[in-house]
Amino acid sequence: MGILLFISVLLVAACGLIYELVAGTLASYLVGDSVFQFSTIIGTYLFAMGIGSALSRYLNRGLVQRFVWIELMIGVIGGFSSALLMMAFAFTQGFELILYAIVVVMGVLVGLEIPLLMRIVRDRYQFRDVIAHVLTFDYLGALGASLLFPLLLVPRLGLVRSAMLFGLVNAGVALWSTYLFASQLSDSRALRAMCLLVLCGLGAGMAEARHITATAEDNIYADDIIFAKDTHYQHLVLTRFKDDIRLFLNSHLQFSSRDEYRYHEALIHPGLASVPVPHRVLVLGGGDGLAVREILKYAQIESVTLVDLDPEMTKLFSSHPMLTQLNHKSLLSPRVHVINADAFPWVDSNTDSFDFIVVDFPDPTNYSLGKLYTTAFYRAVARHLSVQGMMVVQSTSPMFARDSFWCIAQTIKQAGLQTYPYHVYVPSFGEWGFVLASFHEYTPPTSLPSGLRFINVEGIPALFQFPPDMSPLPMPANHLNDQVLVRAYDNDWKDISH
Amino acid sequence: MKVGRRKFLRAGSAALVGLSFKTDRPIAGSFVNDSFQMGHRLRDHAFFPPPKRVEKFPVVIVGGGIAGLSAAWRLRKRGFTDFVVLEMNPQAGGNARWGENEISAYPWAAHYVPVPGPKAVYVRELFEDLGVLKNGEWNERYLCFAPQERLFLYGRWQEGIEPAVGLTQKGRDQFRHLGDLFAKFRASGEFTIPLELGRTSKFQDLDRLSFSDWLQQQGCDSRLVNWYMNYACRDDYGALAKDTSAWAGLHYFCSREVEEKGPLTWPEGNGWITRRLLERVGPNVRTNEMVHRIAQTKRGLSVFSGDTEFQSEFVIFAAPTFLAPYLMDGFPRLHDFDYSPWLTANLTLERIPDSRGAEPTWDTVFLDSPTLGYVDDTHQSLRTYIDRTVWTFYWSLAEGTPAQSRQLLLDKDWNYWKEAILKDLGRVHSDIRQCVSRIDVMRMGHAMIRPAVGSIFSEERLRLAQPSPDSRLVFANSDLSSISIFEEAQYHGVIAAQTVLERLHGHR
Repeated sequence: MGILLFISVLLVAACGLIYELVAGTLASYLVGDSVFQFSTIIGTYLFAMGIGSALSRYLNRGLVQRFVWIELMIGVIGGFSSALLMMAFAFTQGFELILYAIVVVMGVLVGLEIPLLMRIVRDRYQFRDVIAHVLTFDYLGALGASLLFPLLLVPRLGLVRSAMLFGLVNAGVALWSTYLFASQLSDSRALRAMCLLVLCGLGAGMAEARHITATAEDNIYADDIIFAKDTHYQHLVLTRFKDDIRLFLNSHLQFSSRDEYRYHEALIHPGLASVPVPHRVLVLGGGDGLAVREILKYAQIESVTLVDLDPEMTKLFSSHPMLTQLNHKSLLSPRVHVINADAFPWVDSNTDSFDFIVVDFPDPTNYSLGKLYTTAFYRAVARHLSVQGMMVVQSTSPMFARDSFWCIAQTIKQAGLQTYPYHVYVPSFGEWGFVLASFHEYTPPTSLPSGLRFINVEGIPALFQFPPDMSPLPMPANHLNDQVLVRAYDNDWKDISH
Repeated sequence: MKVGRRKFLRAGSAALVGLSFKTDRPIAGSFVNDSFQMGHRLRDHAFFPPPKRVEKFPVVIVGGGIAGLSAAWRLRKRGFTDFVVLEMNPQAGGNARWGENEISAYPWAAHYVPVPGPKAVYVRELFEDLGVLKNGEWNERYLCFAPQERLFLYGRWQEGIEPAVGLTQKGRDQFRHLGDLFAKFRASGEFTIPLELGRTSKFQDLDRLSFSDWLQQQGCDSRLVNWYMNYACRDDYGALAKDTSAWAGLHYFCSREVEEKGPLTWPEGNGWITRRLLERVGPNVRTNEMVHRIAQTKRGLSVFSGDTEFQSEFVIFAAPTFLAPYLMDGFPRLHDFDYSPWLTANLTLERIPDSRGAEPTWDTVFLDSPTLGYVDDTHQSLRTYIDRTVWTFYWSLAEGTPAQSRQLLLDKDWNYWKEAILKDLGRVHSDIRQCVSRIDVMRMGHAMIRPAVGSIFSEERLRLAQPSPDSRLVFANSDLSSISIFEEAQYHGVIAAQTVLERLHGHR
């Protein structure tokens, strides 16, 4: 019976450590700051174990029965601890409170285990052997658990099911103890029934674990992340929630597949459809190929040159099936030439002329991006614009960043172009603005490609009307040497977030 | 290469358990562009071989810095091409020399020109020639991009170099008081660029005391006010306020309009101007020509360089004026020409060092550092994504006498300066050693004229700036103004060229 007894010790020790690791890992995942989480959880847990050990001296009678009860409690609380904590994080404000309550209760119970066990077996062995064997197997169990946890349990089972698996082990040890120490028990039948009940409960939990995790995670993360990559240039994340695909660059939302058609139709058609015979188009930025998708709806267009900084971005939108479905494989069209280059130097070094130019950069959130919204840049771009051509510039929100929007319009004007600002509503962005620019008077188009979902001929003139809360403001133009736009943009969004 | 089994095992096991030490990047580099060896040959009256060849030019320009190149620019613009510029170094440009690596072009010294005021007509003319100024508008690409300057003080950044953080009421009052005084001096019209056009004896008294004494007279005892005034003197004159003439100190603050446009600058600093000038006068410039003697002849002056005698009618001496006594027999010793020694370094950075979250600026200065900080040479790049860069680090050795500092420059090896620079930068950029791959250091014993007390109205200087009507030698270095800035060098170069052209006509 000796070895079987000590295997129980080993299993019990392993369980104790696993719950501690589960709590630490979950807290690190959910709250962050793993050093802090692990330090405080281990500290609290060990301290609670000390309390458990101290309390053990008050337990005098019916030791085996009490040991079985403690095992069952550990099995239930520990086994469900992970699921409980996930739910607590997803649905309550008191994650930390619940976390440390569980850690303390578990610590006290685990602290009771070994002293009780030692006292149960003290009559069978010499004292020094009890100490030696029990502690040896205790530490062995801890080693086993600490290796199993990161190598096998977390990757294969996940946190919820790992905890439940070890809850089953605790309940198993409890059941096993009723046989092992049967001689010291008066009524073992009721205890065994209880053990079976707990085993069944945990088994059912194991089976349902996936569902529990999904429910909690749906609440923790809004959407599934289907692609994430730190490219050389930016942090690129694609998420999906049901049929909605969203692209984030450096955590700024670029599009939502549910309403991007509004943005891209508005970006392209009011300008491009007004150009008499467009042959050559330039797109600066827009590596997602969605603007190009709209441009390719014009049969006369012979070539589209797309200049985007990040090759990973254009590669992703040329190859990922979900994304090529979204952009209609636009980047793979023989009419499209993808160039991965920094826009300003490219514009400076290239000499081609274009009938339609799309300037679709991220918002001017910093001085680097701010260079792409200066008079110097628009002058350089305008040198590529044919006499009858049009240029359109993504110009942030005239609603949330009203100063910035009118600053961009003023900058384009000072670069020597006539400007025609307009705006549309894109649900995932809110009110969004663009500036059309050209060397000639703009006349809205009288016909459009078929199959558009948002833009129609009748609606276009209305886009150029600004209600009072978005109406023009007198703003200075943005230059390389003052970058007033970056400061204005910063202020605009500061106002929103306060 | 054979790796011993033991070594292999050691390395392997160390790698396996992750015991290998985290190492800093190896940093390459050396001293570059040293020229003191040549200067010391002159000083020590070394033997120079007699000439083997004779070449004849009506005009010889000694020195291919901004003064010499500007003289050449003026001569050619006036249609006169029969001249030669003799430059001692392998590269022309003097304090406006530049370098270039695969990341960026970078300056070796002067790195900007303030937007010239109305009096600097020759600078404006040059900038119109170079397309910097067009129809009264400055080309946006050559104006310093925003954000321009930042100062690190008390554990944080502030925009601009004049301290605003940690300033007491007293300090604020003193800055305001000085601002008012500067505005009055500015309005007097005495402090101009070029200096010669405004200076009268009106404020000559201010040349008789030091800038720090003058500041004390104005009741300026705030620590930050004094730091800033000293920074200005170290930056423009390579000297502390106590070693600077009060007149010169005031000139720094009162000679330019307060304007927001920001200076004109380029990745290679004023090297950009040198390049453009060389596109125009390059055929007349000869480098590696160390002039070792200038002698009077019956028909004019002979300039000896290497094994060639350049026979000329006129010589424009655009090299630092202190060299003249070493080149010409019987030339009187000069007393009022003191020069500040400088050290500059170009650091190649394989990634952008951590700036505690701040966006990079053009110029970065650290409060209470003995150095002047650094300039980011990719700041004027039009690229949006910059992951490697070059920093030009400036250090005017203003503590101690110039002679002591020159000795320090000679005594200490490259490693000493490398460590000093990294230590200075490391106070703010903690990961600097993991970012730098190369540090090239340039030592300049006589980098810029020092406007010491009494130097602005020095009779010796005024005499040299006004050559007698029969003189065939015309001086042109910026040290004639006692202020070493681009505009003064260009002014004296242009004036010298015009003087020589007039006299040539007179003689023919």
